[in-house]
Amino acid sequence: MTMLALTLLSPLLAGLALLALRRAPEMIALAGIGLGFVAALAQLAGIAGGETVQIILPGLPQMPLRLIATPLTAVFSILVATVAASVVLYAVGYMRGDAERPRFFGTLLLFVAAMQALVLAGDWITVLAAWELIGFASYLLIGFWHGRAGVASAATRAFVYTRSADLGLYVGIFVLIGWAGTSEISATLAISGTPALVAGLLLLIGAMGKSAQVPMQDWLQRAMAGPTPVSALLHSATLVAAGAILLIRAAPMLPGGALLAVGLVGGVTAVITGLIALGERDLKRLLAASTASQYGLMLVAIGAGAPIAALLHLIAHAAIKSALFLGAGVFQHDRNGTGLEILAGAGRARPGIFAGFAIAALALAGLPPMAAFFSKDAILAAALGSDAAPWLLPLALAGSVLTGAYMGRALNVLWAGAPGTATAPVPLLAAGMGVLVGLAAVLGFGFGALEEFLSVEVEKPGWIVPAMGLAVGLGGLALGWFVAPARLLGPLLAPSQNGFAIAGGMDALILRPSLAIAAACERLERALFDAVMAVGRINLSFGRAARSADTDAIDWAIFGFVRRTFALGDRARRLQSGFIHRELALTVIGIALIAAALLAAPLYS
Amino acid sequence: MILELMIALTIGAGLFAVGLYGALSQTNLVMIIMGVELILAAALVNLVAFWRYLHPDEPAGQMFVLIIMAVMAVEMAVGFAIAISRFRSRGSVEMEEARELKG
Amino acid sequence: MSVQVIFLVFFGAAAVWFGIVVFRTHSMVRSALALLFSQTAIGAMFLVMQAEFLGVLQIMMMATEMSVMAIFMVMFMMDPGGMGAMDMTHQKRLSLWAGGIGLVAAVLLVWLPDWGPIALAVPSAQQQAEDLGRELLGRSMFIFQSAALTILTAMVAATMVAIVPNAEQRK
Repeated sequence: MTMLALTLLSPLLAGLALLALRRAPEMIALAGIGLGFVAALAQLAGIAGGETVQIILPGLPQMPLRLIATPLTAVFSILVATVAASVVLYAVGYMRGDAERPRFFGTLLLFVAAMQALVLAGDWITVLAAWELIGFASYLLIGFWHGRAGVASAATRAFVYTRSADLGLYVGIFVLIGWAGTSEISATLAISGTPALVAGLLLLIGAMGKSAQVPMQDWLQRAMAGPTPVSALLHSATLVAAGAILLIRAAPMLPGGALLAVGLVGGVTAVITGLIALGERDLKRLLAASTASQYGLMLVAIGAGAPIAALLHLIAHAAIKSALFLGAGVFQHDRNGTGLEILAGAGRARPGIFAGFAIAALALAGLPPMAAFFSKDAILAAALGSDAAPWLLPLALAGSVLTGAYMGRALNVLWAGAPGTATAPVPLLAAGMGVLVGLAAVLGFGFGALEEFLSVEVEKPGWIVPAMGLAVGLGGLALGWFVAPARLLGPLLAPSQNGFAIAGGMDALILRPSLAIAAACERLERALFDAVMAVGRINLSFGRAARSADTDAIDWAIFGFVRRTFALGDRARRLQSGFIHRELALTVIGIALIAAALLAAPLYS
Repeated sequence: MILELMIALTIGAGLFAVGLYGALSQTNLVMIIMGVELILAAALVNLVAFWRYLHPDEPAGQMFVLIIMAVMAVEMAVGFAIAISRFRSRGSVEMEEARELKG
Repeated sequence: MSVQVIFLVFFGAAAVWFGIVVFRTHSMVRSALALLFSQTAIGAMFLVMQAEFLGVLQIMMMATEMSVMAIFMVMFMMDPGGMGAMDMTHQKRLSLWAGGIGLVAAVLLVWLPDWGPIALAVPSAQQQAEDLGRELLGRSMFIFQSAALTILTAMVAATMVAIVPNAEQRK
């Protein structure tokens, strides 16, 4: 239990401390990530016997928050910890000299904590909360250099696209909780029938957003505006994996129709994003499209009914794609850009880094004995053996061909061309990348132990599937190396470079309407504010009117009264003339009045 | 209608009117005192007439007259004392110049 | 009765006429003398109305007072002989109006009401004096005592007012 808590708390506290203290970012970051990695490892060892560890925290009424460490979730957890540790080590060197390092490492650590919470979640509420947090952390990290042109809009687009897909996740989770009566994941996976189909399709929509499946693949390419460590960690191994992780965990529940939908979405994505990757002119965007394509293949595996194959490919892809991104980051540092024209020949100047890059690229294409060979074969076997084989198998094969093609092209561009000037060695970057490259190479041998650990059986394929896999992998590599993409794609070149945008794409369908609504709300808010201020001004004018009524009218009346009294007094003064004769006359008049009053007494008494 | 009474009272009224005119219109203090004398004399005439023609048995009527006469004399004495004092301090007893009490 | 009426009218008219002369003449001495004659006529009226004691008293008192007044006139007037013929009046119109209104009001008050029957029996002069004496020493003693006190005070005050400045001037 402590290891479970520590896996989460270590990066979380380190991130908060970093954001509060803003000091010694590298030390705190490495300490937090390292401790989290150790905890994840210890946790994995701890539940090797097959028992589970749970932490239950109070949450909503009758829906407590759970963190659970089953063999499956522990594997995800160690995956996140490993990639995070390597990337942080790399980032220490990559972000050297940047003034905003505390903010970067702090946000990165918070993201790692949220991702751990997502993979270790035991109930849907935790999943939702962690899902939102990783999306938000992704927004902050993509827009890290928000001063540069285009970065802020890319981060906004990423956030808005994934958020709009999260709606499916929300409704799906509501269906699951409502139908099962509890929010615990394992309990809700027991439902079946139409609710399961509906929930499955809704979860697929949520997964499509996070894992950049068609039609929401564009945000991943735009997310490449962030720093390369971010791309390596978030947008290849963890955040985009969240969708696949979701579907892998929900796989026991998905009925046949949902599985077919999952497989088709994955397959179409694999092909389309593969074409986009082939037509790309920017290395990082190429790798981003490749990520979407690989996750498409994972969804094909889930749709074919073999989530374990998707899991194996996820693990392999995490190591491979992170390594590729880290290598791209080194070349970016050298040439100060990521366009393929700029990077031409960068690999020749750094043979070591290029070797690692090449190993990872070949691994991705599916060459033995590296990890992706086994996982890709598993996917192809599953596709072959599934009920929807006529649909899934061609899509999977095409995806694999394209994988090899664009990887071959990338290698070609990096190797061919002038090497450029001599460059300084980058030990930290190389160390971080080296770990992942090593993993990419040797993970394949660990898959057997993994299957045993998870207590699942993966059917060993015959010779057809490995042969297919090898053929398409090598064929793709050759095509990519030797043939220019313009000739390969032919008429599809322009649409692929356009991202296959239909009717303006997601930009016009989702982004612009939501931004327009936001602007309208802003205007409404402003109008309300003006209305309130106007009401306030009306009240103020009432107050002023009251005050002026007081000063002008009332004071005028009162002071006028005073003035008139004074004037009256002045006139009355003239009676006091001091002349005896005048006073005598007044006396006589007074006496006459009194006498008249007395004489008229009979009239009024 | 008692003719004598009416005549006496009318005389009294006439004396009163003349005395009032004099008291109000004269500038000299002594002349004003003379006007007041006439007014008082008018009152005396009225009193005696009322006594004689309505209640001759009442000695109180004559008593009243006696009292008025006595007080008249005293008032004149005081008035003249004031006139002397004023004459000494200002040099004249003209009422036109007596503005000290002006408010 | 008719004799009384004639005498009343005569002396009354004399009194009023002399009263008017008081204020019309320019000479101060003549003013005082006119007042003397007016008061004497009033005393005569008292005698006509058979109030002998009062009549005699009036004539004696007024004679003395008017003489004193004549002396004061000569002392204090700017032009005692009246040779300057200066108009020594002010607020004449007001005074005339006051006098006129007073006259009209008084006459109305006199002639309008009904005074009742005439009293015919008048006690003799001796009897009147005796009654007056008894009245004085009896019922009206208190009034006269108070009046006496007031008169004494007034005498002292008049003396003080008349004398004191002189003593200061001498110093």
